Amino acid sequence: MTAVRESADPSSVPEAKGRRPWGRPQLYTAYGQDMALLNTGAKKVSVGVLLVVALLLPFLLEDDLLRLLATGSVLAIGAIGLNLVTGYAGQVSLGHAFFLGVGAYTAAVVSGDPEDDQVWGLGITFLPVWLLAGGLVAALVGLVIAPLASRLRGLYLAIVTLGLVFLGTHVFNEWDAVTGGIGVGRPAADPVLFGVDLSRRTEAFSADQQLYLLMTVLLVAFALLGRNIARSAIGRSFAAVRDRDIAAEVTGVDVRKVKRRAFVISGFYAGCAGALLYSITGYLDPSSFGLLVSVQFVAMVLIGGVSTISGSILGAFFIALLPRLTRELPEYLPFLSSSATQTPNVFQVETLLYGLLIVAFLLLEPRGLFGLWVRIRNYWKAWPFSY
Amino acid sequence: MTTVQERETQGTGTTTVVTRVRDRAGDTPSGVAMRAKTKGLWQETSWAQYWDDVLDVAHALLDLGVVRGDRVAIQSENRREWLVADLATVAVGGVTVGLYPTNPPAEVVHVLRDSGARVLVAEDQEQLDKALEVSAELPDLQHLVYVEPRGIRGRYTDQRLEFWADLLARGRAHRAAHPGAVEQAMAQTQPGDVMTLIYTSGTTGAPKGAMLTVANVESTIAALTGPAGLLDPPAGPGDLTLSYLPLCHVAERIFTTWNNAATGIQVNFAESIDTVPENLREIQPTFFFAVPRIWEKLLANVQVKQAAASPLKRNVGNLGLRLATKVGAAMEANGGKHTAGSRVLHAIAWVLVVRSLRERLGLRRVRWAGSGAAPVSVEVLRWFMGLGVPVHEVYGMTENTASATANRPGRIRLGTVGEAHDSVELRIDPTTGEILTRGGATFAGYWNRPDATAEAVDAEGWLHTGDVGVLEDGRLRITDRMKDIMITAGGKNVAPSEIENAVKVSPMVKECVVIGDRRPYLAALIGIEPDTVGDWAQRERIAFTTYRDLTERAEVQALVQEIVDGVNAGLNPVEQIKTFRLLPKLLDHEDGELTATQKVRRSALAERYGPLVESMYSSASATGKGARS
Repeated sequence: MTAVRESADPSSVPEAKGRRPWGRPQLYTAYGQDMALLNTGAKKVSVGVLLVVALLLPFLLEDDLLRLLATGSVLAIGAIGLNLVTGYAGQVSLGHAFFLGVGAYTAAVVSGDPEDDQVWGLGITFLPVWLLAGGLVAALVGLVIAPLASRLRGLYLAIVTLGLVFLGTHVFNEWDAVTGGIGVGRPAADPVLFGVDLSRRTEAFSADQQLYLLMTVLLVAFALLGRNIARSAIGRSFAAVRDRDIAAEVTGVDVRKVKRRAFVISGFYAGCAGALLYSITGYLDPSSFGLLVSVQFVAMVLIGGVSTISGSILGAFFIALLPRLTRELPEYLPFLSSSATQTPNVFQVETLLYGLLIVAFLLLEPRGLFGLWVRIRNYWKAWPFSY
Repeated sequence: MTTVQERETQGTGTTTVVTRVRDRAGDTPSGVAMRAKTKGLWQETSWAQYWDDVLDVAHALLDLGVVRGDRVAIQSENRREWLVADLATVAVGGVTVGLYPTNPPAEVVHVLRDSGARVLVAEDQEQLDKALEVSAELPDLQHLVYVEPRGIRGRYTDQRLEFWADLLARGRAHRAAHPGAVEQAMAQTQPGDVMTLIYTSGTTGAPKGAMLTVANVESTIAALTGPAGLLDPPAGPGDLTLSYLPLCHVAERIFTTWNNAATGIQVNFAESIDTVPENLREIQPTFFFAVPRIWEKLLANVQVKQAAASPLKRNVGNLGLRLATKVGAAMEANGGKHTAGSRVLHAIAWVLVVRSLRERLGLRRVRWAGSGAAPVSVEVLRWFMGLGVPVHEVYGMTENTASATANRPGRIRLGTVGEAHDSVELRIDPTTGEILTRGGATFAGYWNRPDATAEAVDAEGWLHTGDVGVLEDGRLRITDRMKDIMITAGGKNVAPSEIENAVKVSPMVKECVVIGDRRPYLAALIGIEPDTVGDWAQRERIAFTTYRDLTERAEVQALVQEIVDGVNAGLNPVEQIKTFRLLPKLLDHEDGELTATQKVRRSALAERYGPLVESMYSSASATGKGARS
């Protein structure tokens, strides 16, 4: 059949390709349909509904919850970045906190007040500029780190990236001109868009409503970008390297280039997330980029679902909303204290929970929250049979 | 492509399937004519391309020296080249002869020699080898065209071979040198011209080639796709069908080639007979014809998978199917139409199980479903009716171009094959009970067999179908094949197929052959279905190795005994199966036990399993228990 096609007259090739009869989701007439972003009707509908709900939320929820959700959106951007390098490309990175810090400080410097004599500042408060600057500088750091990854793998890579966090913490602590130093800190980047400072309330919206909308829009953009990276040739080369780098190389994938790309892209995402994260609180302290942050991101990826963009988002929101839940605990468990000075307190429970959740998910559902969803989906998909 | 002017200069103006395709290509050149799955994608062929290929191949046939009346044989699975070669042959006035891809060399040589085919289009090396093996006995066979070059090109040096693409190139060269030659040949076609030989599967004797003329085919097309045809509104370019039964059989030729040309329905070729369930799910046809075997298999699959489902799913599924049973009963009483009450029940069952079940079966969008070519049990049809898929049983045979009777939408009566088509006269011979038909679709006779033709068609033009039946207010109920009717030693007339079908309703049974002609009582040879029985044995923790081993297990014998007892309970004592034996192997076409259409050859079976049959009558006790050997 194919041979006939190939040798047939080119004019006899059908002019319209990829026409697909209505209502037949499994009938593929072009590979693009299989790889499409929203390849089923159910996905189209549910994503549409989700977007509408997301846009309606600021008018329904309290401001403090909106702020939490905005933070969740930013964390999700960071988690997508980590999932691209760790989940898709299989390069374990514990240094995510460092990239986050690089992005945050770059953005703070770009947007900072030039009049301030304590710390550096360029005074460019326009959001896209400092956001891109933060992302690009972190991506540059990723490019520098990448050669390490092409020489090391697995546990060794994890240890080396862990080292980055300690190096970073040291630099951030000591470089007063940029970070303000320990215990002092500096103002973070101002989210100013076309002259409007979104972190201050305006006539129509509260600050949290504006930030929530901003972060939601950015998350959609970054998620879309991530999903497109994942389903394109780049994403497939990531997966090839993850599954077996030697086999990938044999099939013509340039392993070094792929690993470099993974770190650069991941760095960019982390840098952007770092820049945005502290523009919500407006202030950043050099001690905020420790190992715990890296572990939190790893938790997001593992709990959400390795190698899935939607899983990263789920995981990020889960981790972002977890403190809110643990803060409620003392009401039900009187022996827990909500003060950090007493033991046992909710903060310890929180830290404990991160660890426990990672262990539990790895043991019980290695594909994370997304895997749970897949199980539910497959259960109904197979209805009324079991397979 | 033909322009309007060219079309107007056509000679006799006889409508054939070829002119129908030409006109479609003119009217909707970019419309989808067919789809075939290649490399995971359903790649479509437009009407313009279809017609273009037909013209190329027709020109190539002219170049090869094929003239009016010459036979061109095709041995291939269903694919677009089958249709193209078929239509190209008809275009130049040739006669298409189809061979089953499963035909062994012995049958290939018979058909090719009997028809005197000049050209053979063979699908691949497997089919080509069969013809080459016997080509010394076939002086008429001058050209062998192969479609799949794998294993052939560069290895076979036979001068008569030609690759399909080279054939197309030959056609294009001829087309450039002699433009309009094919159109000229088409213009000379008369309604009485034979356009195809269809070799009847022949449960007895060697296959005979039934000659079908252009007028026969047009008569059938008018009967099936016309205003009083199979479905209302008639099939059209927006409908989809799946092509998977052998195209050399008259039924699939109607539902694929002729229906496609006449109504513009989109034909989708299944990858193979084994992938039919998956392909059905992908295509979700709106128009689906199947043989009883397929309907039984679909039902058996559901039962097996349901038995293995988790308790919740099983219980909800059973609840939905119980509702569906009620829907089926209500619809059956109403001629296959919904009543108000059945609609409500159907809606509930739809939510519970029917929607997903139909989606998985590939019957979600079916507008017309049909069964034919062999008797089917009422229970199976009733089950599908419960899903809201009324299956219309149709009746016909090669000799009347498969148009005799059909159940019409909304006037279905299960167990009958429906009402005669408007263009068909039908009566029952008062003395023998044989069904006789007459009409434009009655064939022109057997190829080179005037003796057999005289036997089949009498002087008044009545075709003797060989089937025994009765008319029930205009609807035909078929009792059995005339020669299969058995007279037991007690002098009772028994129609075995009804009993056999009742046994075959069980998903555990694949074949059942009732024996009892001139015997004291009825006995049966039963072949079990390896998939379902194997699955059952696994769940029951019965160890087995091979098919034969499985048939020898006492538990399996007991299982089949239970099925037989269940069937016996609904039968007169004379019709009850007193004893049975399980066939030690799956029946096979290659071994001569089945015809190419998977019908059992009773004579071959009686011969091969003679001792097994005798053992059922010689054993001391003829009660049910005696069956366990």
